Amino acid sequence: MKKIINYLFLSCLKATELIEKKLLFNLSFKEKVQLGVHKKICDACANYEKHSLLIEHGMAEKHHHPEMKIDIEQFKKSTLEKLKK
Amino acid sequence: MVKTKTPDIAQLVELYSGDLLKRAFYKISDPEIAKDIVQDTFLAATEKIHTFKGDSSPRTWLYSILNFKIIDHYRAKSKHPVKMKTQSVLDFFTDGGEWRENRKPDNWHVEEGSLLDNSEFQSVLASCLDALPDKWNACMKMKYLMSKKGDDICQELDITPTNLWQIMHRAKLNLRDCLETNWFKN
Repeated sequence: MKKIINYLFLSCLKATELIEKKLLFNLSFKEKVQLGVHKKICDACANYEKHSLLIEHGMAEKHHHPEMKIDIEQFKKSTLEKLKK
Repeated sequence: MVKTKTPDIAQLVELYSGDLLKRAFYKISDPEIAKDIVQDTFLAATEKIHTFKGDSSPRTWLYSILNFKIIDHYRAKSKHPVKMKTQSVLDFFTDGGEWRENRKPDNWHVEEGSLLDNSEFQSVLASCLDALPDKWNACMKMKYLMSKKGDDICQELDITPTNLWQIMHRAKLNLRDCLETNWFKN
């Protein structure tokens, strides 16, 4: 029994690290099981994952359309001047 | 588009400045840096113009130079020392790795779609992102703005996978804390 608990046990620090790792690389089987169990019993980490995904989606390009305020004609002029030097 | 004639650089500036600026701005979201990078691109193009063989269109050729310049920019940025005093992991977790009581992520009770369409929220998110140390910021932007895969980011920034997800973890902890303070509790 102790063995199983040790196998499944993750601290919140480690669990949130795995949540980020999962977004970049594949988790091992053990990590997947550990993380799955941890999220079931820990609301704070489950919330962390929701927030992390929200930030993730917020940064995705489709929502990221700041207006470009650049004077293109002015830019062409100054570039041509620089190129002449 | 097979042309053997060497293109005239002034003509390239005239034709492609707009497109290249848009692209650079999209990836970097700072107008001054975007302008510098596109100018650098044209400078590099001038120096290499005789190597342009015409196997690709001038536009594709310029885009590939621009792409290198953008990656160079992020790479240089990631080498800067950390400037901002950010909160360390121990501000969030106890020595045993458990959440500190006042730091536990709470339910934000939000509807994601409408929140992400809210431009005020987007601007809070953007300023939280800018407040991150350069190296963290570079990792985040490579992943999300340039849609790079984990392995490619490691290669381009010359860091290990463990390094990368730990940076992302620190960055997210600080970002969500920043959002909570500046948006959800405001």
